[in-house]
Amino acid sequence: MTEVSIERLTMDYGVHRAVDGISLRIRNGEFISLLGPSGCGKTTTLKVIAGFEHASSGAIRFDGNDVMQVPAEKRDIGMVFQNYALFPHMTVAGNLAFGLEMRKLPKAEMQSRIAKVLEMVQLSSHADRYPNQLSGGQQQRVALARALVIEPKILLLDEPLANLDAKLREEMRVFIREIQRRVGITTVYVTHDQAEAMTMSDRVVVMFGGKIAQMGTPAEIYDQPASVEVAKFVGQVNLLRMKVEAITGDGGMDVSGPFGVIKVKSIEGAAPGRAVTVAVRPEAIDLVSPSEGQAATIASSYYSGSLMDYRARLADGTLIDVQTFPRQRFADGEAVGLSIPADRWWPLEVTA
Amino acid sequence: MNPLASKKRASLLLIAPAALLIFFFLVLPYLTIVVMSFRVPGDGTPYAPGFTTGNYLHFFSDSFFLQQTFNTLMIGAICTLVCLVLGFPVAWQLARGNSRLRGIAYGIVLSPLLVGIVIRSYGWTIILGNNGMINRTLISMGLVDRPVGLMYNTLGIVIALSHVFLPFMILPVMAAIQGIDPSLESAARSLGASRATIFRRIILPLSMPGIQAGCILTFVLSLSAYVTPALIGGSKVKTMAVTVVDTLVDTFQWPFGSALALMLAVTGAVIVVIFARMTRMKWKAA
Amino acid sequence: MSKTFFTIFCLLIYAFLLAPIVVVVLASFNSGAFLTFPPQGLSLRWYVVFFHNEVFWRAIKTSLWIAAVTTVISSIIGTMAAIYHVQFAGKLKETVRVAMMAPLLLPEVLTAIALLFFVYTIGIGTQTVLPLIIGHVLITLPFVFINVSASLESYDVSWTMAARSLGAGPFTRFWRIMLPLIKPGVIGGALFAFIISFDVFTISFMLKSVGMSTLPIQLYDYLRTNFTPEAAAVSSLSVFLTLLVVVVTEKFLGLKIHRF
Repeated sequence: MTEVSIERLTMDYGVHRAVDGISLRIRNGEFISLLGPSGCGKTTTLKVIAGFEHASSGAIRFDGNDVMQVPAEKRDIGMVFQNYALFPHMTVAGNLAFGLEMRKLPKAEMQSRIAKVLEMVQLSSHADRYPNQLSGGQQQRVALARALVIEPKILLLDEPLANLDAKLREEMRVFIREIQRRVGITTVYVTHDQAEAMTMSDRVVVMFGGKIAQMGTPAEIYDQPASVEVAKFVGQVNLLRMKVEAITGDGGMDVSGPFGVIKVKSIEGAAPGRAVTVAVRPEAIDLVSPSEGQAATIASSYYSGSLMDYRARLADGTLIDVQTFPRQRFADGEAVGLSIPADRWWPLEVTA
Repeated sequence: MNPLASKKRASLLLIAPAALLIFFFLVLPYLTIVVMSFRVPGDGTPYAPGFTTGNYLHFFSDSFFLQQTFNTLMIGAICTLVCLVLGFPVAWQLARGNSRLRGIAYGIVLSPLLVGIVIRSYGWTIILGNNGMINRTLISMGLVDRPVGLMYNTLGIVIALSHVFLPFMILPVMAAIQGIDPSLESAARSLGASRATIFRRIILPLSMPGIQAGCILTFVLSLSAYVTPALIGGSKVKTMAVTVVDTLVDTFQWPFGSALALMLAVTGAVIVVIFARMTRMKWKAA
Repeated sequence: MSKTFFTIFCLLIYAFLLAPIVVVVLASFNSGAFLTFPPQGLSLRWYVVFFHNEVFWRAIKTSLWIAAVTTVISSIIGTMAAIYHVQFAGKLKETVRVAMMAPLLLPEVLTAIALLFFVYTIGIGTQTVLPLIIGHVLITLPFVFINVSASLESYDVSWTMAARSLGAGPFTRFWRIMLPLIKPGVIGGALFAFIISFDVFTISFMLKSVGMSTLPIQLYDYLRTNFTPEAAAVSSLSVFLTLLVVVVTEKFLGLKIHRF
């Protein structure tokens, strides 16, 4: 059980700054995801926490103790790698025993710990198999077991589900999260998959260009993105340019655009006459009869089984993405109305 | 202290022994040959004090050595060509074959490398000699009544050297062919190309890096081969490498022997560079 | 039709590759006094002659211990260099590769001459076996290097990282993780080093100390003046020894590696 704090961490590779002064406090037992596109510095941050890379400046503390000078093998971390990195010349039990041997545990305790962890990942019957005799999902669970059996202070996972097929990936999300809850271990999870980060984490840290773009619960990240970049990276979004009409006294502002005048939260730099970008998620929009909402016609539609994606064209030509359930079907060219609850509009930035 | 820098310094310890070995016992010795080639020939000793360009003048003024250099280069070129023609089909078969015999075939290709060059050359003397296998067979079949000259001439040297260096052609060409995605051939076929066109337009250009490496290796190795020409050529036909060793070991003319060795190395290197230029692959440059 | 022709052509080349070795082995069982073909009769006569020939036995012993020493030194130095090359060299990777391959790419005869002059220039001469060992290590180094490098290229550095995260220090990581996983390359390289060292002629011929003789040198000397099948018997034994080394290595050290 460990609290991790990262302070102004910077990592340079020659002239390239991979991580640019990030600060982050991870609470005891918290599951935190580092989310971002490739090259955003999330994996580098993980490797610095693990001790595989040496930060150019900044500090990392485990429970208040600076670990920057502690080599990886002494940091007492458990790590799961993207390709699992199971030792191919050792059996499942051998892989699990390795970390315990390094800690010079008595044989009996080693065996009981291995048995316990194998049961947890549901691989008790596979102890004597070699990694190449296991499926991808099983290898993944062995990798997790190997990291947990040493009872590390923190658990680090580097895109552990990236090599699995879509269905298995979804099962493993739940599996990993449940085990993490049961063990109660502080966990840092690196991924570029927003759905993964959202479903698994207590908090998500979105990173772009080596910096933290936003940090918060999955709901905060999704519903109240801090920037256009975050809004676009996490799910689909309609971005509309609107004009500020008035700043109202209650911390809000009136903006006008294709949907007429609407009221949103006021943002920094907003003033009457300025242009702002306002976001609305496709699933926040309801399709109603033309008379009940903003008039539009269906330009195209895409059926994906559980969901229906429409692209609707407003009178001024603006295209709006709408996501609904297939129960409600509209034909291309059909006239519809778009209805958006006032609280689903989210202003992002002042553009002019 | 920066841990990254210390790690880098520690990793240098890994390369240090090999680097020192190569610097002291390869780089410095090669420089020694260059220096030696400018020494004054000694009388009763390998060399005398002082420096001279006389050894090189001697080489250029004696048509015997010029002719022999030319002959040696020709032998190298012919061996390279023979190895390429014989080696390519085998390399192809090894790279693309999928039969269970492939392992055995690969073993056969490697086998000459595992048997000493003296023994291999000796085997060729048994086959090619006047009293050897081929001549005996020919005579007993009544095809000839006197032994055909297969040994103590250039032909014998070319046959034996081609055998000795064939694996050095096959292995890089095989590696290159293995690197060619078989779906390229299917793609070419789907576009309507014949087998011959596929070979000429797809396989050959893409295996060029291997062919180039194999040719250079074979050529350089045949130029400097000593044992095979010495045993097969006997005292009648000598290649430059044999003459160089004779000059150094038998007559102790170290400076002149060095000059001879360097002239052979330089002409060989020039040819290799020209060859590499001519076969340069533009598509590889990126 | 063309396929049959192609197969026959390849078979002929395989026969060509094997011919001299097969011929030597066959000749060793010749009962006649001279090398003739076909053999005049089968016998082990020349093996008996050779078993009583002190000179060849001394040469074989010399060759074996030199090859053993060379293999140990070359394997250690070459493996270290390969690890540096694949995991640490960075921008120097190509330079390291060329330097390490140089002994193979440079003409052996020139290297032998260069070393001979060098040891005389620095004054150690060829009184001891040292120059010869250096020469052998030099010439076998590229074989260890390419074999180990090839193994290392398929070695996943995340194995090392995983071992670190589990608490393994540098020595444990090397002995328990890296070495077992690159073992095929190390063994292959060592095998090559041993065989090359056992068979190499020119380097030994130039650098041997006075009165010393390796098997290839002894055989070469013999062949210059003699044509009895005794040389074939010696050669066959040498081929057999090489085969034995290959088979034994394969059997006892070439353990199966479980890969993904």
